[in-house]
Amino acid sequence: MASVKKKICLIGSFAVGKTSLIQRYVYDRFDEKYLSTIGVKISQKALPPITDSNDGQMIQHTFLIWDIAGLEKFDSVVANYFRGAAGALIVADLTRQETIEHLNPLYDRFTSASPDAAVIVLGNKLDIFKEDKQTQAALKARAADFNSELVLTSAKTGEGVEQAFLKLSQKIGCRSE
Amino acid sequence: MSDALEQLLIYKNLGTVLFDEQLHIVEADKRAQELFVSIGQRLHKGQLLDFFPELIGSEEYLKQIVRQKENDFRLDFVNRAIDDERAAFFNLLVLPAQQKNHGLLVLENVTDQALAVQESNQQRYELILYKRDPEFRKQFLSESILGKSEAIERIRETIQKLSKFPSATVLLMGETGSGKNLAARVLHYSSMSADAPIVEINCAALPEHLIESELFGYEKGAFTHAVTSKRGLLEEARGGTLFLDEIGEMPLNMQAKLLHALETKQFRRLGSTKPIETDLRIIAATNRHLQNEVEAKRFREDLYYRLNVVSITMPPLRELGTDIMIISEYLLKLFNVEFKKNVKGFTDEARQLILSYAWPGNVRELSNCLERAMIFADHERLDAAELVISGTQAQQGKPSAQQWVVPPGGIVLEEVERQLIMSALEQSGNNKSKAARLLGLTRDTLRYRLDKYQLS
Repeated sequence: MASVKKKICLIGSFAVGKTSLIQRYVYDRFDEKYLSTIGVKISQKALPPITDSNDGQMIQHTFLIWDIAGLEKFDSVVANYFRGAAGALIVADLTRQETIEHLNPLYDRFTSASPDAAVIVLGNKLDIFKEDKQTQAALKARAADFNSELVLTSAKTGEGVEQAFLKLSQKIGCRSE
Repeated sequence: MSDALEQLLIYKNLGTVLFDEQLHIVEADKRAQELFVSIGQRLHKGQLLDFFPELIGSEEYLKQIVRQKENDFRLDFVNRAIDDERAAFFNLLVLPAQQKNHGLLVLENVTDQALAVQESNQQRYELILYKRDPEFRKQFLSESILGKSEAIERIRETIQKLSKFPSATVLLMGETGSGKNLAARVLHYSSMSADAPIVEINCAALPEHLIESELFGYEKGAFTHAVTSKRGLLEEARGGTLFLDEIGEMPLNMQAKLLHALETKQFRRLGSTKPIETDLRIIAATNRHLQNEVEAKRFREDLYYRLNVVSITMPPLRELGTDIMIISEYLLKLFNVEFKKNVKGFTDEARQLILSYAWPGNVRELSNCLERAMIFADHERLDAAELVISGTQAQQGKPSAQQWVVPPGGIVLEEVERQLIMSALEQSGNNKSKAARLLGLTRDTLRYRLDKYQLS
């Protein structure tokens, strides 16, 4: 069986829940305490093997998930964090409007380093989100701008997390539709 | 590699890994290998990406560096977790090597620097979130009540529930130093917006005539020295919380006036006929047994019921088991910062002493004890000898038999005994010999009682 590793980046403002999303997806756990991330940390998650439609060979894809600190400035090192990524989950906090506004510069920076990467927009902290149409509309608009999809998630309850990674893996071609 | 560069690498404790165009490790120097050993891994010949998965996705770029078509590739603060508790951080820098068609990866351990940045970011982000995010504020404040015991968990839960009812009156009870003031603040800040006022009055600290003018305010000319008008605390607390500390000390006459204001939600400044509406939450606190005070006619029954809508009893420190150590370690950290010391913890004897003492003054007494010890501390760990408890040693801190009083409602003696045995086991980390010593029993007697209460 062939083995393929794909680099996936989680990006977004500080405290939107990037680390918690990874913790939920990879280890199925959640920690209430907020601990800010420094630099970058990689976690791995093997996906179910799939059959290559061209040669019928089984392929085992593994996501190398990059948990990248909430970035406040962009320099050449940041471009290196993003370089060579197959996909990204761009995360906003549904309860903090400003984190939605930060999505655009993050997306621009990411796609300039990895122009062919697939992108999914996440609205996280669904468990404490007091539904308001304005926030949802703003996120949907961002997802449309990025030619992407929007998934609402809660790292705390796990809602939408698996689905978000599944959608991304389908877009990248690591899973059948 | 030139001698000068080699000297520089040694001086800066930088490890290097030489690799070829196929990204295969040709050589890793001793320092690079040691850095890997420090994170519990081994670095040897093989594929570069197997040891540095952070470079996956950038292979083509690295090859360009090897061919000297790109200058460098840098990743800062790469987190290599050693385990759940510990992390090591590296900076990675890839450069063209002197040998043709080779690259050099320079590896630097920047863990101390990363942790310093992390701490500073954490504080900055927490402050921003605290101001902007009510959910974060609730969580943050809830964690400021330290401890994992059932009693503390219950208090956190109650406060969490009460935070959804910002106008509910709350009565906080508990011994002096048991954290009533902290609970009041946590309750206020978790219920209200960040800028809502919390106004505190200590009813024991002011004479009767001053309490009245402080609470209700006064108009110019209301009494001899009232040269200007002044807003009272009931007005200052509008939209927020009025915290009436030591309510049990409030004079009876004043209690009637306060009750009137609470019932009608209106009051008048001294010297004024104009009623002012109140719009606030009342949190009252006392270390007295208010029901006893009511029976003794020192506290108005109607006010007692008005205040006792929801009551929270803060447990004394001696009932918190090993939570005492969580609080002690937190205080140690604070005093380390305040006194610029680096005391890392407690000796086993000191722990035993802290856990076995009754702490009648609760957290306030514990804090004073640790502050005094930290002033004189010059070892890595605080020792029992450095903990001066009320000027004596812990043995004298044991509660005397006279301190135990049967409450008016009565008790079930066997339940008390059961609880004490459980507490001793918790304090001793389930060590039966230690638990027996704490209870003044033999191991066999303790075993008998464990069987009796089905605790074994």
